[in-house]
Amino acid sequence: MDWSVGWQYRGMLFDGAVVTVLLTVLTMVVAVPGGIGIMLLRQSRFTVLRAIGVAYVEFFRNLPLILLIYWAFYVLPMLIDVRVSEFATGLIALSLNVSAYNSETFRAGVNSIRRGQTDAALALGMSRLQAMRQVVLPQALRRILPVLASTWVSLFKDTSLVSVIAVGDIAHQALQIRSQTFRVLEMLTIMAGLYWVLGYPQAKLVDWIDRRTGVKE
Amino acid sequence: MDIDLSPVLNNWRFIAAGLAMTLGLSLSTVVCAATLGTAIGLGRAYAPGWLRVPLTFYVDSMRAIPVLVVLVWTFFAFPILTGATLPPFWAALVALTAHIAASVSEIVRAGVTSVRSGQTRAGLALGMSQLQIIRSVILPQAIVRMLPALGSILSITIKDTAIATVIAVPELMRQSETIAAQSFRPIEVFTTTMILYFLILFPATRGVDAVYRRFAHLGRS
Repeated sequence: MDWSVGWQYRGMLFDGAVVTVLLTVLTMVVAVPGGIGIMLLRQSRFTVLRAIGVAYVEFFRNLPLILLIYWAFYVLPMLIDVRVSEFATGLIALSLNVSAYNSETFRAGVNSIRRGQTDAALALGMSRLQAMRQVVLPQALRRILPVLASTWVSLFKDTSLVSVIAVGDIAHQALQIRSQTFRVLEMLTIMAGLYWVLGYPQAKLVDWIDRRTGVKE
Repeated sequence: MDIDLSPVLNNWRFIAAGLAMTLGLSLSTVVCAATLGTAIGLGRAYAPGWLRVPLTFYVDSMRAIPVLVVLVWTFFAFPILTGATLPPFWAALVALTAHIAASVSEIVRAGVTSVRSGQTRAGLALGMSQLQIIRSVILPQAIVRMLPALGSILSITIKDTAIATVIAVPELMRQSETIAAQSFRPIEVFTTTMILYFLILFPATRGVDAVYRRFAHLGRS
């Protein structure tokens, strides 16, 4: 066994880590407003908009992400006549997927605050907007945050799937080095180790957030 | 853009074989992961401290490492380490089970600890043993509370089997890729695959919801 291969190709692996982290951050940046948008669609007064919101969520939640990534890879260039980079394709596929999950998280968070609280706020003379902003949202946010954090960790892991369309993330870089050097066992173990080093603290952070943000109604 | 569905129609047997493989792999994985996950979850809730530490480490590690990485490692690296070759299907079953059992164990643990501790004390006061309390007081309520989360494990598993394409398990995703590459018709083929996955996953999700609504009252305390 020759573990020096990891050190020898540290540049490539570091680039991969940067791409993985960047992809995770950018996807969340798109998918939080995306999720809010879809949640608002689902709570719209118009049946058509509500139906679109429901269809979006059900469709993207019931689809393997890897298939969505392949699909985006082949279909996007044909739908829009612009050359889309692999990175952007991966970002779009991940954002479509995570937006669906986020919208459910937001919806559940807002709905989990009992109606009686809104009624009480209204009875005290607050406006609907005030009741939303000062009573419902502060509590809902504490319920949304832990779920969002756990979605973040799943997303961090799911970015590895974009390696199938040759986005240079950790998994892709490691698999490339593997086929260049034939150090299969070493490279695959280093790849798993890298994800572990980056992901383990995040998983622990999620637990901590979970413990910190309990809501008592 | 012209649409040509003939690659899909001419290869329907090939696709059906993939579909059967997806379902077979999913069901085997769910059964294995449920068994292993329950054992780990109960272990984390009730086992002595020295056993809890490695179990917690295992579960948290699986939460940190992507399925793709576990799959690839099990298929390519594990045989080098041990000398035992695993065929793709078995490698996928082992890797997916290892990964999903960790999620199941978290659900089991959360379900078991959600039953108020007053009930355990009441059981002890009535002279029941720890094992009796777990079996006849805690589990009957916990299992019902776990149902929705366990149901989502079913659809997560079906979705994760698609990743087994990277180690060439001939499931639906792999078969579609093959046809798409041979026919140069990726859009038609992958769109059909999307619809097929949706047709399996949507009823699976809804079915679990329906079952839960039927039994939810049994979990209240």
